[in-house]
Amino acid sequence: MSSKTIKFLQYASIAWIWIFVLSVDIWIISLLIVARRLHDAINASVGIGIIAIPLFLLIASALTYVFFGLQKHREVDETRHGSL
Amino acid sequence: MNGNEIAAKDDALFRSIEYTGKNFYYAVGIFVTVIAFAAFLYLGQIISGLGVTGMAQPVSWGFYIVNFVFFIGISHAGTLISAILRLSKAEWRRPITRMAEVITAIVLAIGGLHPILDLGQPGRIWHLATSGRLQSPLLWDVTSITAYFAASTVYLFLPLIPDIAILRDRGTKPRWLYQFLSWGWQGTPKQHKVLDRTINILMIGVIPIAVSVHTVISYIFAMTVQPGWHSTIFGPYFVVGAIFSGIAALLIVMIVFRRVYHLENYLKEIHFSYLSILLLIMSLLWFYFTFCEYLTTHYGNEPDEMRVFFYKFSGDFAPYFWAMIVCNFIIPVAILSNKKTRKIKGILFASFTVLIGMWLERLIIVVPSLANPRLGYPTGIYIPSITEWALFAGGIAVFMLGFLLFAKFFPLISVWEIQEGRASSIKEVAHRLRSYLPDELEEDDIKKALH
Repeated sequence: MSSKTIKFLQYASIAWIWIFVLSVDIWIISLLIVARRLHDAINASVGIGIIAIPLFLLIASALTYVFFGLQKHREVDETRHGSL
Repeated sequence: MNGNEIAAKDDALFRSIEYTGKNFYYAVGIFVTVIAFAAFLYLGQIISGLGVTGMAQPVSWGFYIVNFVFFIGISHAGTLISAILRLSKAEWRRPITRMAEVITAIVLAIGGLHPILDLGQPGRIWHLATSGRLQSPLLWDVTSITAYFAASTVYLFLPLIPDIAILRDRGTKPRWLYQFLSWGWQGTPKQHKVLDRTINILMIGVIPIAVSVHTVISYIFAMTVQPGWHSTIFGPYFVVGAIFSGIAALLIVMIVFRRVYHLENYLKEIHFSYLSILLLIMSLLWFYFTFCEYLTTHYGNEPDEMRVFFYKFSGDFAPYFWAMIVCNFIIPVAILSNKKTRKIKGILFASFTVLIGMWLERLIIVVPSLANPRLGYPTGIYIPSITEWALFAGGIAVFMLGFLLFAKFFPLISVWEIQEGRASSIKEVAHRLRSYLPDELEEDDIKKALH
C-alpha cells in the first residue's frame, strides 16, 4: 500500500471518529429537545446531556491532539523506512 | 536506536505475532465453530422471535440480561485497574496494563450487544434512536456504555502506538496495518510528551466513567420498585462486584497467556501475588455489601421483599445462592488468605470460582425478583433454552477469539513500558523514597540496598 493511501486512511480515520462523536452528540441533543417538547423530566435529561456531550468531544479531541501532535513532532529521517 | 534494536531484548513479546503455530489455528477453529453454532441458533430467534428462549411472563429477563451485566462487570478489569495502577505509579503494573485494557475493550463490545439479543428482533434497536427517552435508566446505560467503550478503546490504543511503531520498524506483516496505526511515531521527546500528556488526561477521566457505567447498570434494577431490586446500595454493590469479577478475569487471562506464550520472565509470581491480594480484598468487600443488602431486607420484613428473600435463601434459587456464597467468599478467602495456597494454581482456581460466583450473583439478582412480582401472580419459572446457552457460550468464544487475534497482531505486554521501566524506574522510585522518608537517603544507601 502506498504512503499516500496510508496517509489518506489515517486522516479518514480521524474524520470518522469525529463523525461518530458528533452523531452521538446530535442524538443526545435531539433527545433533550424531545424531553423539552413533551415536558418529560427535562432536568434529568439535561443532567445526562451536560456530562455526556463534552465527554464524547473530549475523547475525539484527545485522539485528534495525539494524531496531529505526533505528525508535527516527527523528525525527517531518511534512514527510517516508512515511519508514517 | 530504531525499533529493532530497542526491542531485541524483548523478542519473547513478539513471538506470538511473528510465529504462528498449529495450535493457534486449532483454537481459532474451535472458537469459530462455537460462534457459528450460536449464530445459527440466533438466526432461529430472529425468525421465530423470543419464543425460542425460556423467557415468559413474569420472568421477562433471563440469560441475555444476566450476561449483559456479567460481561460489562468484567470490563472493569481493564481500564479501571490499569488507570488506578498507572495513577498510583505502581511499578509492577507494567506487564499487566495492556492485558487489562484488551479485556475491557473486547468484553464491553460483547456485553453491549446483549440487550440487542434481548430485543428479539435486532431491528428494534432503531426505535432507541428514534423514540428513546433520556430520562429512562436504559438510555443512561446506552450513553454510559458507549462513552466507556469509546474511552477505553482510545485508552487501549494510545499506549499501543509506540509498540505498533516497533512492529512497523521490525518489518512485521501486514506492514500497511502497522504503518497505518503507528501514526508516524518515531519516539522523539516531543512525541513522548504529547502521548504522555494525553494518557494522563484519559487515565484520570476514565476512572469516573468506569464507575458510572456499573452504577448506571444497577439503576436499571434499583430505579424500579420491584422487590429485591429497589436498593440504595445497588450502585456501589454493582461496582464492587464488577471490579471483583474483573480482577478474577484478568488473573485467568494472565495465567493462561503466560503459559501459552512463555511469558514467565515478565509475569512473575509477585504480579499474581499482588493482584490476588486485591482479589481477596474485593471478596471481603463483596461479602460485606451482600451482608448489608440482605440484612436490611430481612430486618425490614416487608412481605413482598421476604418472598424474594426466601426464594433465594431456602426456595428454588437456594442452591445457586449458596453456591454463590461458596464461590465468591468461602473458596477465595480460604485460598488467598493462606500464603501456602496463594500460588498460581490456587489463584487460578479461586479466580474461576469468583467468575462462576459472580455470574450466579447476576442470575440471582435478575430472575428471583421477576419470578416473584408484587401482584398476586403465581411464582414464575425460568428455564433457559438451548438458544440462550449457545449465545452465552458464543459470547465467551468471541471473547477468547478476540483476545487470541489481538495477541496475533499486537504485543500482549507493553514493550515500551517495560523498556521505560528498565531505564528509569529505579531512579524514579529512589526519588520517591527520598521524598517519603524523614532522613536524607544517600546514593550509596540505594546502591547498597539494590545489591
